[in-house]
Amino acid sequence: MRLLTEATEWSDETAEPMLEQGSDSMVMQPLSEWVPESGNGLALEVDDEPTSQFCQAPLITINFPVFTDGRGLSLAVLLRTRYDFTGELRAVGDVHQDLLHYMRRCGFDSYVLPEHRQLPAADNRQPFSPYTDYYQASVIQPEPAFRRVPRGA
Amino acid sequence: MYRYDTFDRRFVSERVEHYRAQTQRYLAGELAEDEFLQLRLRNGLYVQRLAPMLRVAVPYGTLSSDQLRTLAHIARDFDRGYGHLSTRQNVQYNWPELAEVPDILQALAEVDMHAIQTSGNCIRNVTTDEFAGVAADETIDPRPYCELMRQWSTAHPEFDWLPRKFKIAVSGAATDRAATLVHDIGLKVYRDNQGAVQFDFSVGGGLGRTPVIAETIRTGLDIEHLLTYLEAIMRVYNRYGRRDNKYKARIKILVRAMGATSFREQVDAEWAHLKDGPSTLTDEEIARMESHFVPPAYHEHTEDLSALGAQRLSSPEFGRWVAQNVSAHKQTGYAVVTLSTKVAGIPPGDVTDLQMEAVADWADRFGFGEIRISHEQNFVLPDVPIASLWELWQEAQAQELAESNVGLLGNIICCPGGDYCSLANAKSIPVAEAIQREIADADYLHDLGPIDLNISGCMNACGHHHVGNIGILGVDKKGQEFYQISLGGHSGHSGLDASLGQIVGPSCSRADVTSVIGKILDVFVEQRQPEEAFIHCFKRIGIEPFKERIYASAD
Repeated sequence: MRLLTEATEWSDETAEPMLEQGSDSMVMQPLSEWVPESGNGLALEVDDEPTSQFCQAPLITINFPVFTDGRGLSLAVLLRTRYDFTGELRAVGDVHQDLLHYMRRCGFDSYVLPEHRQLPAADNRQPFSPYTDYYQASVIQPEPAFRRVPRGA
Repeated sequence: MYRYDTFDRRFVSERVEHYRAQTQRYLAGELAEDEFLQLRLRNGLYVQRLAPMLRVAVPYGTLSSDQLRTLAHIARDFDRGYGHLSTRQNVQYNWPELAEVPDILQALAEVDMHAIQTSGNCIRNVTTDEFAGVAADETIDPRPYCELMRQWSTAHPEFDWLPRKFKIAVSGAATDRAATLVHDIGLKVYRDNQGAVQFDFSVGGGLGRTPVIAETIRTGLDIEHLLTYLEAIMRVYNRYGRRDNKYKARIKILVRAMGATSFREQVDAEWAHLKDGPSTLTDEEIARMESHFVPPAYHEHTEDLSALGAQRLSSPEFGRWVAQNVSAHKQTGYAVVTLSTKVAGIPPGDVTDLQMEAVADWADRFGFGEIRISHEQNFVLPDVPIASLWELWQEAQAQELAESNVGLLGNIICCPGGDYCSLANAKSIPVAEAIQREIADADYLHDLGPIDLNISGCMNACGHHHVGNIGILGVDKKGQEFYQISLGGHSGHSGLDASLGQIVGPSCSRADVTSVIGKILDVFVEQRQPEEAFIHCFKRIGIEPFKERIYASAD
């Protein structure tokens, strides 16, 4: 398992994504056990219903049961846009390196990649942003292209 | 038609390079089979029974003559000299090499085409009326809004990993030629009394093993809200659609489980948060899209049809073709021509490289360089001067694209079936061919009048058999191919509401299909009132007379 975080990576063009062994030391609890004031991290499943209390968590993980399960993407968008969650949002479980760019655009900012999944060797940044720009709005770019980019040229 | 700008071109070419790198990693053993599968599907590549199959997007069925020429080159250079027009207005190649697909995609990108999201559990190519922009019965050209949805849905961060595939169809005419009510979302677009563009939303329609007619959940939505309302529907579906069973994962199952009213309430609750947000369409963006679809510079033509009348009299064959394959155009002096691919002995929808090039040339000579692909798997030339019909017909005959069977029994809609598709239970192409050969007499076909006959090789229903007036479904019985016949389906055109066919009874062997069809037609001919269409006759007399005839000898 390797933890990839974006905090150092995006500010420095030459930096490698930060890789850490194992998970960090925060106590994580599932929704059924988590107490908002505890200061503990909240470990969500993709079908958990978000509430505004979640904002008190310093870290939320969303567990992808399989990498093709898009529910975690909608849950992330809701946490970031509906409940204004500003803490760290981490994708865990069956995270796939080729889907990191979707996750990033839905508001995740750290990812635990299973050991058997490799980032393409050539370019560590590429999986996070394979495209220069996108048509539609996202958590990290709230304006769609038609509001930002002169089109038609 | 829509022309790419630098933004579109950059995205599509970056997508080609992204997929090329993924293909290389797969070939180098760095991506597992089941992982690469999901990536290649979203780039149009299936692996079928005999070889990979590449599905190229033809957004809302419109393409230019240069694009069609490129499709012909690809058929020649990367395939076996032909392509297939699909029931979702796309073009499919049956024999590409997996390693060469990035090169094919690059060739497509050079003429502003792609294969993005033509398969996989994501939002697919938006389909519409093949006569959009030219049909005499149209209230508004739906294609600008289809293009808005194409751009919105392309690589959407949240909605590219849905429970199941997702299909949107739009109609802007009195006659629904896009079968909108059997789609995940069916949109009807029109102008209100003040001239403002509005949409009616229906959800949860579909074919497959659980055929359902869509329920209307909102009427009169102003165009500026198009994308935010779509997002609300998609979010409810993405979060609550079933993922434990692929056969229950379409939105129709969710809508049915929740009930249309409660589904609508959920969507409205979600939309309350999205409404008037940044994805609300701006007047500039709407105007930009509409400007791509302004009518071409039509020439002044006389309304005098005497020359055409004389030509029709001189050749009954030409007369039949005009009656069946030529449709009314908005513009005086012009007609819409459907070039039928349905010739006995050729799989419905299959076209050669040379036919594609001929059609591209006709589009330039007899129109404004534009071609459509219909969901009935035919080519459409949208802007043919009536004075050129005779010349076009003669050239089309030489290319075997002049069969005058549109709307008739011979215009069979048919999936690739067991000859090509690994999902199929039974072959479909030989069944279509047998029926076309059995009922080949042109006068008899014309006397029968409009009949939609649809064939699917399995319950995934790519041949839309549920909405065929006569539907044929391939089923597997202990390893043997059998065919289940249904009657009375309708996709919602010709002023009738969409309806699903009723199964007549036990399935029959392939050898018996043509005789069963013959009996059905006999009952119709005996019972029909003067000039009555098959579907109207069926609705009047019901299924019993057909049942009795088909199964008479079994009693």
